[in-house]
Amino acid sequence: MLVISRRAGESILIGEDVEIEVLETGSGRVKLGIKAPRAVPVLRNEVRLTRDQNRTAAQEIPLDRLATALAQLRSRP
Amino acid sequence: MPQCETKYFGTVSYEASAAVEFPAGLPGFENCRRFLPIEEAARLPLVFMQSLEQPALCFLTLHVAAIDPGYRLKMSAEDMASVGFDQPPGTAVDMVCLAVLSIAYADAPTVNLLAPIVVNPQTGRAVQSVRDDAVYRCRQPLMGPPEMAPCS
Repeated sequence: MLVISRRAGESILIGEDVEIEVLETGSGRVKLGIKAPRAVPVLRNEVRLTRDQNRTAAQEIPLDRLATALAQLRSRP
Repeated sequence: MPQCETKYFGTVSYEASAAVEFPAGLPGFENCRRFLPIEEAARLPLVFMQSLEQPALCFLTLHVAAIDPGYRLKMSAEDMASVGFDQPPGTAVDMVCLAVLSIAYADAPTVNLLAPIVVNPQTGRAVQSVRDDAVYRCRQPLMGPPEMAPCS
C-alpha cells in the first residue's frame, strides 16, 4: 500500500481524471473531496460491503435452518 | 385488494397501504423500489421483505430490537430526507428498523447491523441506511458461539 501524508487543502491524483482533496481534518475524522468522471463509481466501502451482503442475502434461504435461531431470539427476556 | 407473487408464500393478497417504497432501491438492487413486508406469527421476529417487482427477490430481515435492544442509529440527513423524517435532529422518531439476514451454505446466519433498513410508517418510505462508523458489522453472527452441550 502506498502511504502519503497530506494536510488540509492538499490533494492527490489517481490517474489523469481522479482527484482527492483533503478538505478538513479533525477529531478522528477526515473530510475528503473527490473529483472524478461520472463513469467512475465512488462508494464508501461500507456501501460496497452492504451491496455484497445484499446479493448473498437475496439467495434462497432454507427457512428450516433458521428455526433454532428464531426460537433463541424469542426466548430472550 | 392487490395480489403479488412471492418467493416463499405463493400468491399473496395485501393491503396497498402495507407496501413500502425504497426511493433509491437498496445497494446492489437500485432498481427494486417497491416491497411488501410480510410477518408470520410463527416466525417472528422475522420479516420477509418481498419485492413487488421481482417475485424471486425476497430479503429475510429481523427486527433490530430483537437482536440488540441497545442498538442506536444516527441517520444521515440525506437518508432522513429520503424517507420523509423532517423532525429536528436529535428528535426520537417512530420507525421500524430491520436487519438483513443472510446465510452462507455452511455458515451460521448473519445479520447486517452496519446497514439497517429503516421504514417510516407515516410515509411508507424506506431506506437501507449505511452507517459511517465502525461500531457494527456487516455480517454479525446472529447467535453467539454455541454453548457447550450439557453432558448426558
